[in-house]
Amino acid sequence: MIIDILNLNGHGVFVWPSFIFPLLVCYILFLRTKKTLSKLEKENIKEIKILSQQKFEHIKKQKISLLNSKT
Amino acid sequence: MFKYLNPSYIFTITGKILNVLKFIVTPIIIIGVIFSVFVSPIDYIQGDAVRIMYIHVPSAWISLICFAAISFLAILNFLFKIKSATLFYKSLAPIGLTFCFIAIFTGALWGQPTWGTWWAWDARLTSMLILSFFYIIFICGYKLTSNSERSAKICSFISVLGLINLIIIKYSVSWWPTLHQPSSISLFRESTVHLSMLIPLIIMLFALLLYSALIFLMKYRIETIRVKKKSLKD
Repeated sequence: MIIDILNLNGHGVFVWPSFIFPLLVCYILFLRTKKTLSKLEKENIKEIKILSQQKFEHIKKQKISLLNSKT
Repeated sequence: MFKYLNPSYIFTITGKILNVLKFIVTPIIIIGVIFSVFVSPIDYIQGDAVRIMYIHVPSAWISLICFAAISFLAILNFLFKIKSATLFYKSLAPIGLTFCFIAIFTGALWGQPTWGTWWAWDARLTSMLILSFFYIIFICGYKLTSNSERSAKICSFISVLGLINLIIIKYSVSWWPTLHQPSSISLFRESTVHLSMLIPLIIMLFALLLYSALIFLMKYRIETIRVKKKSLKD
């Protein structure tokens, strides 16, 4: 039975690669895209953290200078 | 309407849709393959070779739809300078190219048992090959050009030429004597494909469209992050 499924009346040699190759290509494209996306998202989160930290320090400095000017 | 084209708005929504798509794409593809290989009947002339149709036809359709969408977006960007259109077409082009290659490859595999040849320089096959070249030139057009205005010009120019090729692909089987059969499914007339074969074809089309949507959303997020990073650096 398995041989019949693989053989597909002599057309298995054409039918199976026509499904396996495209699905493999689709899977590779998915993996590559996923890898790039997760890498970029991690970098993006890091940059946002750094930027928000810088912004926080900048606001802190501004407050200190305002306090100094009042005194 | 333009609110919905806002990259930040789309970026938030894509995250939610992506999570749903990731879980449903694989089962639907598996169902599609089971229907195509095991459930659908054998063709009385082509035998089991007809099963290649279930992957070849949806791939060809998706590659054509992608190029039509890309062309529309590239022209839109060139005329009205809608920057988010570039994000859309950059995300769509690799999907279209992949499916174009799949259509050509599966077409060759289908050609050998039915026509007795892997390849023939006939109108439909050649115009599909030209479409893949258009995809490659289009991708090179925006990847190798750093200037956004020049890139928009190049992309819209390639799109217009590609659109002419799309019309040639569509009518190639009517205009020239070709090995390729005329279209069996049309939006405007009744399908000549039997329902037992039409159902697996629709399932596979739906599965591959969902897969395309998944890759498109992931690519869209990649492009949006790249733009954000670039604007932060500037």
